[in-house]
Order: sequence, then structure tokens, then C-alpha cells
Amino acid sequence: MNERFYKFNTVLMRVGVYVVLVVILTVTIAPIWLLMVNATRSTTEIQQGLSFFPSVHLLENYKILLSKGLNLPRGFANSLFVAAASTAITVYFSMLTAYGLVVYEFKARQTVSNFIVVLVLIPTQLSIVGFYQYMSRLGLTDNYASLILPLIANASGVFFCKQYLESMMIQDLIDAARIDGASELAIFHLIMMPLALPGAATLGIFAFVTSWNNFFNAFILITSINKYTLPMLVQTLRGDVYRTEYGAIYLGLAITIAPILVIYAIFSRYIVSGIAMGAVKE
Amino acid sequence: MSAFRLKKEHYGYLFIAPFFIAFLIFGLYPLYNTFALSFTDMTMMNSSSAKFIGLKNFTRLFADDVFMKAVRNTWLLWTLNFIPQIGVAVLLSVWFTNIRLKIKGVGIWRALFFLPNLLMPAVVASLFYALFSFYGPVNQFMVRAGFLPQAIHYLQDAAIARGLVIFIQWWTWFGQTVIIVMAGMTAIPVTLYEAAMVDGATASQMFNRITLPLLKPILIYIFVTSLVGGMQMFDIPFLLTDGRGSPSSSIMTNNILMYMKFASAKGHIGAASSVGVAVFIMTCVCALAIFYFMRERDK
Repeated sequence: MNERFYKFNTVLMRVGVYVVLVVILTVTIAPIWLLMVNATRSTTEIQQGLSFFPSVHLLENYKILLSKGLNLPRGFANSLFVAAASTAITVYFSMLTAYGLVVYEFKARQTVSNFIVVLVLIPTQLSIVGFYQYMSRLGLTDNYASLILPLIANASGVFFCKQYLESMMIQDLIDAARIDGASELAIFHLIMMPLALPGAATLGIFAFVTSWNNFFNAFILITSINKYTLPMLVQTLRGDVYRTEYGAIYLGLAITIAPILVIYAIFSRYIVSGIAMGAVKE
Repeated sequence: MSAFRLKKEHYGYLFIAPFFIAFLIFGLYPLYNTFALSFTDMTMMNSSSAKFIGLKNFTRLFADDVFMKAVRNTWLLWTLNFIPQIGVAVLLSVWFTNIRLKIKGVGIWRALFFLPNLLMPAVVASLFYALFSFYGPVNQFMVRAGFLPQAIHYLQDAAIARGLVIFIQWWTWFGQTVIIVMAGMTAIPVTLYEAAMVDGATASQMFNRITLPLLKPILIYIFVTSLVGGMQMFDIPFLLTDGRGSPSSSIMTNNILMYMKFASAKGHIGAASSVGVAVFIMTCVCALAIFYFMRERDK
């Protein structure tokens, strides 16, 4: 009797949990789903009422979107360039720094490692005014270098790579390569990098997404419209030119997040495990 | 063998050198520069003739109701999104790791809950702006379903605008918090729970005596990172309305105020820096306080 009551209770709880999960899922996905659906509906349809089913006006919306002078392809190319360069810089230099900290037993090693953990928590955006004024003295405002080069010192990237390399146990391989006469830099480039590829890829995804979505720094530092990245261009969709072209506005927003959705559909497993690894120590 | 490794030791400095050179140039110097500028009256117009004015920017700042309001807003928007965020995350993590419930497809639920975090904030703000506009889908639904007698201007109401920013922040971050809390929970050895069960502990006893204490470092980490991020909240409140925290400055945050001073007609670089410095110090002090008061107290 007691056993049956216990089982009944578990089933009841399980049903309750699933109900709550479905409610939260609806809240999570509905806005994104509406965005995608409305990108395929004509402005008239959108004004007539709410619908969760796609329509057939995708191409029409695209034509309207481009007809108003918004250079979306240009913004896309700009964003792609900045994100690709940011990813390459972040991954390479984070691995390099982390490798130095994991493999070599130098005096300052522990201090430097602790320092990097502290750096992760420093609110860097608050020094943007000093950064801007300094960049303008160097003539680097309105230049992608001011967005990309600071990533050579990406503390959270180093932290992630350090966690990853520590879990890899590569010391024996390194020792073997040294006996074969390989130089230290060659060991890093030719032995460690290929082995650490899964970790590098995970960090790369994060670096790409972060750069792709970055609004604040680009907004402050980039001024000429032909250098605008997507987050800056998206704003112009809300201007007067598009006032009532709802279909085109939704489509513009949808195109902007589409690459991220594709990346997530393919790599969600790596992304989720990467988040867990970046946070859990030991 | 150890002599061999000793010789290679200095290579460590070589490998970390690029990081520290870039950190000095792009991290530390700009931070120093921001502090230095905050003691000057520099604007975009007078950058060569700017004068040192001591703490004048700061005395003005703390006498300014707008700054105090921005600080209060930022704390309010962060606190009210953080509490449900950590609450929902702990609840979902308990459910997902519960052996009795055996929830199916945990990986899929988690992945879907995390999705909003990856979306560009500029798009998210524009999306919610569109959804909650006067002729937007939310009004269509509310009016047709009979929840509202007539359409309303959501984004002209201070309380609704705040609620929306809080909701969007929660929506963006709770999935990530679930992943981190769950990782912390699964790292707790199962044997601890087994031993407690043998001793006849209840589920809530096990949660309070085993899960929570062992989860504490992870919770502190989430607390601090969320606070540091929250004090710099910008994209969503900036882009949701007019970029000045409207309606009636209800969603104006620290960084929006800093930007407004920076982008004002004269470009008050000195005054904008002082906002950055004040918030920087406030954030660091609070983060340190959290570490201090929540540290392990060994008897």
C-alpha cells in the first residue's frame, strides 16, 4: 500500500514537473518562434492578427528590406570579418597563454593564474571612455583593430583553455617530443594544438558568438556607416524608413540571428558542456 | 630529468608574454586612463586644453539625482532578475538530477532553455520592442482574448518597461545558470546521498545539508559574475526604448548614463569617465564583500 502510494506520488510529481517545463519552454521559445514566423508573413497579415504558422512572403519581405537603402549584406560581411578575426585571435592566444601556465613550472605561475581568474571578474566595459580616448590618440577609432587586438588578452579564454589543458595530461607527449629534439614552440604548434582541437573549437564557438553579438564596443568605437556591424545596423531597422514594414523588420532581425541558430543546432552539445567546464573548477 | 625541465622553465614567460603585453596596452592602460580622465574637465572640444579639476566630477555626480536614479535602477533591474533566475535554475537543476523523477531529455530541455542567451541583444531588444508595440502581437492577443478592454502603450509605462527589461534579462540568463548549477550538482558524490538515505534523511534534509553547502562555491561564482555583468547592463534597456532610459528614466542604467554623458553634444569625456570609475569601484567593492561574507569559515 505504502509502496503504491509512493509510486503514485512520483507519477503525479513527474506530471507536474513536465507541465512546468513545457510552460517555461513556451515562454523561452515563443518570442523566437514569432520572430521567425513573422519574417515570412506580409505586413498586412501581421497587422491582421497573431499567428504561429509561417506564411509565404519571405522573398517579398527581403525585397522590401533591401529596397530601403539598408546594406545588410555589407553589415553581414563586416560582422563575419570581425567575428572570424576575433575568434582566431582569441583561440590562438588563449591557448598559447594557457599552455605556458600549464606546462612550465616557473616561479610566478600560481600568481599569474590567480591574477587571470581575477581579471575574468573585472568589469571592463566601465573603462570604455578611457579606452576610446586612448584609441583616438592612436588613430585607431573607426578601425576594427580596436575591436580585435584587445582579445590577445582574453582572460576568460585563458581560463577556459587552462581548464581544458589540465584535463588533457600531455606532459609525457611533451617530454617525448623534447627528447626527439623538437623546439618548445614547435611542440606547442605541432603537437599540442592538433590534440587540443576540440577545446579550441568550443572556445572558438563562444568567441565567434560573443563577437557577432557585441554591440557596446562597436557602437562606441566604429563611426562610419560602411563599417557598421550587424548589431549596429539592426538599430536602423527601427528608424522612420521602415516604420510600417513589419514583415521586413522581422526578416532583418531573423537574418541577423540565423547564423547563430545554425551554429547552435550543430554544436549545442559542445556549447553546453563548454559553459559547464568554464565555471566548474577542480 | 628535473634539470632538463628547469632549463625550459623560462619558456613559460615567453608563452604568457603576448597576453601581458596586450593586457598592459588594451586593458590596464585604458583603465588607468579612465581614472585619470575622471579628474579632468575634458570634452571632445577641449581635449588639448583640459584641466585637472580634482574630485569635482565626483562631487557633481553624487549631487546629481539622475546618477543616483541610474544606480538605483541598475540595482533594481539586476536584483529582480537575479532572484528568479537563481531560483528557477536551482529548482530545474534539482528536478533534472532527481533519480526518482527520471526526467526524459534533460539535454534537450537544457539546450532549448539556453538558446536565448546566444541571441544578439540588439535583436532581442528590437524584437520585444516590436512584440510590445501598440499595433504589435501582444496587444492583438490581449485585446482579442479579452484580457484587455483596449490596446495599451506598454513601453510608455514605467513599471511595464522595467518589468520587460527584468523579464528579458531573466529570459536571457536563466538557461546558462541552469547549466552551471547542474554541473555543480552532478559533481557532488552520489555516495553522500546514499549514506544520508541509509541514515533516514528526508529529501529536504539532503538538499539543505548536502546539496546547498557543497554548491556554495558555484553559487558564489554565479552571484558575482551576474552582479558584475548586471552593473554594466546596457544593450537591452538602451535599445528597448529611446536610448535615454525612457519612460521617465525608469530603465536608465549606469552605463546608459555614462554613454549619454559621453555622447552629449559637447562629449563630456571627463564626466563620463567619472561615472565609469564610480560604478567600477562600487562593483569591485560589492564583489569583494560577497567573497568576504560568503567565504568558508573554518572553525
